[in-house]
Amino acid sequence: MSSPAGERPAGERQAGERQVVVRLDDVALCYRLAKQRHSSVKDFAIHWMKRALTYEQLWALRGVDLEVTRGERLAIIGRNGAGKSSLLKVISGVLEPTRGRVETRGRLAPILELGTGFDHELTGLENVYLNALLLGHSRKEIEERIDEIVAFSELGDFVRSPIRSYSSGMLARLGFSIATAWRPDVLILDEVLAVGDAHFIHKSRQRLRELRATGTSILLVSHDLKAVRQMSERCIWIDGGRIAAEGPVDEIVDRYEAATASEEAESLTVEAGPTASPAVP
Amino acid sequence: MDIGGGVLPAVAAEEEKIPQRPAAALVSCGARQPLEAVRNILRYRDLVAYLVARDLKVRYRRSSIGFAWTMLQPLLMMLVLSLVFSTIFRFNVENYAVYALAGILFWNFFSQSIVTSMNSLRANAALLTKLPVPKVVFPLSTVLAGLVNLLLALVPLFVILVVTGHPLRPALLFLPLAILIATTFTFGAGLLLSPLAVFFSDIIELVTVLLTLAMYLTPVFYPMEIIPEHLRWAVRFNPLRSVLEVFRDPIYYGKVPPLSHLAVAVAASLAVLVVGAVAFRRSSDRIAFYV
Repeated sequence: MSSPAGERPAGERQAGERQVVVRLDDVALCYRLAKQRHSSVKDFAIHWMKRALTYEQLWALRGVDLEVTRGERLAIIGRNGAGKSSLLKVISGVLEPTRGRVETRGRLAPILELGTGFDHELTGLENVYLNALLLGHSRKEIEERIDEIVAFSELGDFVRSPIRSYSSGMLARLGFSIATAWRPDVLILDEVLAVGDAHFIHKSRQRLRELRATGTSILLVSHDLKAVRQMSERCIWIDGGRIAAEGPVDEIVDRYEAATASEEAESLTVEAGPTASPAVP
Repeated sequence: MDIGGGVLPAVAAEEEKIPQRPAAALVSCGARQPLEAVRNILRYRDLVAYLVARDLKVRYRRSSIGFAWTMLQPLLMMLVLSLVFSTIFRFNVENYAVYALAGILFWNFFSQSIVTSMNSLRANAALLTKLPVPKVVFPLSTVLAGLVNLLLALVPLFVILVVTGHPLRPALLFLPLAILIATTFTFGAGLLLSPLAVFFSDIIELVTVLLTLAMYLTPVFYPMEIIPEHLRWAVRFNPLRSVLEVFRDPIYYGKVPPLSHLAVAVAASLAVLVVGAVAFRRSSDRIAFYV
């Protein structure tokens, strides 16, 4: 991790090659959970003196290698707790990897959770400023885009009301409008498009296509496998913090569905046991 | 228009014409180089300005007389101290009001900034666990908000200077540099201490006690002379004292601070800033786990 940020990717120099925008090299992420909670200095000191500081290490990611190229649409699937969101957090730079190296190129726009970076007491319009500032835009850049953002969100006069009165769909519209207003190099979406209505989903997919046509790469985490098939061409399946499978989206999702289905069947037979009806094969 | 599985060939064809944008460099996450860190802060300067404004607004919304409180509070404090020290403890400092007020302004800025920057990471936990915003903007903006308060509080100080007939000397022009040194020192100390507040929730109480101790080890409201000779070393070796005197000399004595104080103040504030920045940097990858 301490090695200098020297550029050495051989592929990049050849003009025909696709440009890498995200590269993960043997990335591992460990959540160190204290078994006792040392939320106070006193506790910590006592345990430290007793040499009883024990931690539970939870490896959310173990040795992930990944490259995303310019304009690529990559879906990340896996069960709850498999490490999908951790992976997105590491890529977007919210968490730093415990081991390994994360490199990104250009501007990232992550939407890791609905309504993040919003202040619920402020109006929609004020929140556009706050949120875009948090994404690293300058006041001037925001002035230039504010009308477009408001128009795309279709919130109309609601932008002048505090967002605590917004529905989750309205929050999603506003957040998506802000994050995509500046043609990010990498757009990171964690399960955030599920709450919009049909009209906005259609519209946001349209915008994702436009963005992609100009070279934005899109990383998507979703449990909606139909949406995953539609909105990406490559897919990685994360299990236990590792990439279990990687390839064309339909192939990977098929395998994932098959695995989930057989697991379900298994658990059903186990649960059913001898007392249940023998109908389950 | 639908891009369902059926039209995959069309998507594949579209792939060929993805433009290669004039590319920024592929950069490693986290600003490990000092220069990179500074550039990162500069990129977020509008956010810092926003956070400073929000901090001030919140601070003044709570009190009914708003901004006036910043000016009034140190004045009342000065009155109390003047009363106590001119009638009970009786040490002789010419124009004690100015001496004490300059000390109070400095100390308020320092101690309040330390405490608020220690709270700043926890207060913004929701943001820094979900957005890749450089964590340093939070302690930085609280210290800058404290600086704005200090500048506002200089107004009543100058009123007192004029009212008490204290001579206004050209050395006052040195004040901006003195404030810069004080801000550097305070920001460094804030960087050093704010990650600790994330890991240990009760450390702020401890720091508050230590700040009280530090205040008595710094001649904020008493003159050096009242300290018994054999204890003066404790105050002499306190770098905060030099930072304070560099700030107070132009106001109270109307002189540019002596090189001895100036050298210690500059060296101490740079050292604290570097140590604070390194400590903050080293712990910042863990901050998001603990807030």
